[in-house]
Amino acid sequence: MPLKFTLNGKEVCLEDVPGEATLLEVLRQRLGMLGAKEGCGVGECGACTVLLDGKAVDSCLTAAWQAAGRQVTTVEGLAQGETLHPIQQGFADTGAVQCGFCTPGMILTALDLVEQAPQPSEDQIRRAMSGNLCRCTGYHDVVRAVRRGAKYLRGEGEEQ
Amino acid sequence: MSLGQSLIRVGTQGKVRGETRYGFDMPQAGDLHLACVRAPKAPAKILSIDPAPAMAIPGVVRVFTAEDVPGEHRLGIIAVTQDQEFMAPGWVRQPYQCVALVAAETLEAARAGARAVKVEYDFQPGVYSFEEAMAPDAPLVQPEHAGGNLLRENKIKQGDADAAMKDAAVVVEATYTTERVEHCALEVEGGRAWWEDGRVMVKACTQNPHYDQADIARFLGVPVDRVRVIQAETGGGFGGKLDLSIQPFLALAAWHLKRPVCLRYSREESIRATGKRHGLWMHFISGADEQGNILALKARITGDTGAFASYGLAVNQRAAVHATGPYRTANVDVIARMAYTNNTFNGAMRGFGCPQVALAHEAQIDAIAAGLGLDPFDLRKQNALRQGDHTSTGQLLRAGVGLLECLERIEPIYRKWKAELKHTDDYLEGVGVGAMFYGIGNTGASNPSTAQVEWMPNGRVTLFTGAADIGQGSDTVLLQIAASRLALPVERIDLCRGDTDKTTNAGATSASRQTYISGNAVMGAADNLEMQLLQGARDMLKERHLEVELRGGLLKTSDGREIEPAEVVRHLAKSGVRTMGEGRFDPNFTALDPQTGQGRPYAAYAYAAQCARVRVDTASAMVKVTDVAAAHDVGRAVNPRAVQGQICGGVVMGVGMALMEEYVQGRTDNLQSYHIPTAADAPNITPLIVEEPEPTGPYGAKGVGEPALIPTAPAIAGAVGQALGRPMRHLPITLERVMEALNAAEGDTNCED
Repeated sequence: MPLKFTLNGKEVCLEDVPGEATLLEVLRQRLGMLGAKEGCGVGECGACTVLLDGKAVDSCLTAAWQAAGRQVTTVEGLAQGETLHPIQQGFADTGAVQCGFCTPGMILTALDLVEQAPQPSEDQIRRAMSGNLCRCTGYHDVVRAVRRGAKYLRGEGEEQ
Repeated sequence: MSLGQSLIRVGTQGKVRGETRYGFDMPQAGDLHLACVRAPKAPAKILSIDPAPAMAIPGVVRVFTAEDVPGEHRLGIIAVTQDQEFMAPGWVRQPYQCVALVAAETLEAARAGARAVKVEYDFQPGVYSFEEAMAPDAPLVQPEHAGGNLLRENKIKQGDADAAMKDAAVVVEATYTTERVEHCALEVEGGRAWWEDGRVMVKACTQNPHYDQADIARFLGVPVDRVRVIQAETGGGFGGKLDLSIQPFLALAAWHLKRPVCLRYSREESIRATGKRHGLWMHFISGADEQGNILALKARITGDTGAFASYGLAVNQRAAVHATGPYRTANVDVIARMAYTNNTFNGAMRGFGCPQVALAHEAQIDAIAAGLGLDPFDLRKQNALRQGDHTSTGQLLRAGVGLLECLERIEPIYRKWKAELKHTDDYLEGVGVGAMFYGIGNTGASNPSTAQVEWMPNGRVTLFTGAADIGQGSDTVLLQIAASRLALPVERIDLCRGDTDKTTNAGATSASRQTYISGNAVMGAADNLEMQLLQGARDMLKERHLEVELRGGLLKTSDGREIEPAEVVRHLAKSGVRTMGEGRFDPNFTALDPQTGQGRPYAAYAYAAQCARVRVDTASAMVKVTDVAAAHDVGRAVNPRAVQGQICGGVVMGVGMALMEEYVQGRTDNLQSYHIPTAADAPNITPLIVEEPEPTGPYGAKGVGEPALIPTAPAIAGAVGQALGRPMRHLPITLERVMEALNAAEGDTNCED
């Protein structure tokens, strides 16, 4: 079936998308958006997280047709040229990126969180990020990254 | 200079932008896709394999079986136990072993093909535990192995443990167990291979590209130079990407079909087909005098390595060597035995047996303290290895022993938490301590690294290293070491890493060895480069005895001239010479005596102490690790933030090992059933860096990757044990185990210690 949606601000139009295709498959295989990762395929790890109309979803559990007519944001859509998105900058500046495989999903979940809670508490951060598994960092720097990113997003500059 | 600075890791920009391409991301349009046909259980004879139903599926190109393997069937990292058959040659030794490989134009066709291949098995009786494997007349898992089902026995004998035990004021005896643990690197195994100029190219995730190259060449029966391995960006490893996984399949298909091929495991396949951490059974008897000085340890350790040895020998040996923990123990009698079984194989995972034995040695010291009515923290300080002490292998610790400082750094935190402990009707709190020592690099064996640093004619510098960065940060650390040695900003240095055509062997990213061993190799290469530049400058200026030094990126002569090194490089290039420094480092060691285990197995040891605070909910039996303080003697923190990152990551992996992680074959094959800690499970962590310089380390540095994990589970077990008033000797400390302890405690009239 044909499928139309907005990907990172640009209209995309695909032909012959199988009804059972997941959004992750379409993003990776048809659109080359390789920032979204598959870590488990069953919605447990969060590595495939993208934003659907601004809400973080597991794209491995989201049918492609569910995206029809909606806004899909992947990690590739965040930076403005050389300038990173404030949340990306937060992750980069705090050492929250080790192997980096979980990072795109983490960043998008964090973005969803700070849109709702511009000044999230540690508890809010830990709860919001608990659907995104990381095996490298122990989440210590992830919490700092989200806090720092939120601060950048509020235009408050470096956190001490 | 950059040494000691918390530089942002190399590659961070690409990772936050989602532009980094992992082995997982390699497939390209036009690639053939591969899928494995795996045996449902083992052992079994393969009676027949019929590829015809698969070949009938549109898009299926070829079905490979063991008959298509042109070279050696049996591969493996440790030369004396190369026993893993990637394509089962007539028999299956372990569940999920690959019996055939399907190549197809699409992933769907490959998977359909794998389902369609018809395999007839004759299932045989097998052995599935250490005890079954060691029973008389047990069927042999690896009939080719000289020792029957016993993979190896390692002994450590020092003094007279039995006699010393008789003099002890207190003797404590207990049995401890740990379960199999899955690495769960977030990236599942993935990669691509292709045919180019008569050679096979493999680009895949890995922790050891040069080993991969050697074993792929053996598999294909070709000289090593017919195979090129390029490390793809690797999304975590933790030991799980040390063994070959997808690489032989990729290479075999590309070799036969002369087309690009790709393969990526699903999470299920990754969990089923790759190695695990060994579960160990540990029986410990420890004796101490009235003052609490440890006199003796007698330990018996057994393990099941599964159907293939993988790193089983290393795990067994390390468990034996580290069984005393970081405590002076004059009389030692340790026997560690490991057996083959028909379970899926166990191999290397962060710490190689040390996280397992740490549960035992830390609980034993708590038991000694309880037996003598002494403070368990003071007892650790009292017995802690110090400079001038000997280990259980008789090794004199000459320098770089920072354990006492680690303990002292966490002591105020431990004391404060202990003073704040609360027991209410709703919850019980506890604090526990774990300490460790860890030998850096391979045990009693040569494990060199090599590196090159080249000054380019354009003025830039390139560092060449075969060391695989899998996210832990060796790229950044090695660049910092090179930059510091040459007194250049890191930005001046480019990195060429993990490509067997362009870099030389740095050994495995394992055993916490890359900072120490490859760091030394890089330092040597930088020094050698500097020497070549100085010599080249004299040659260029035709002044053989001129004093020259490299300072601030310039060659400065004693008579006041300043020369761009690139000028010298271009001068040397005229005679066809590259200005490339070579470095090599192999730690100073001796092999362990096979009867007594005596020797100097490592050139350097890392030390650490951690304490954990837990809260046990009395109604639900849920354990929450609220806080962990972790002090690590890393010798020198080349990049403090990277060190802290390793510590925090290790601690949370330790939380998983302590409370939730247990691989049950056939039952916990994805992340719904195999749980690892989330952000909500992770404690508040206070990482503390101790720098007791290691004289043989680069700038005094040692390693931290594995030490970060080792003390955590013992500290948590101690804390839960304290909360519940009874020792927790079995990991993971599941709800059932806590509930059982809570119920037992209710029955006791006096459960407070």
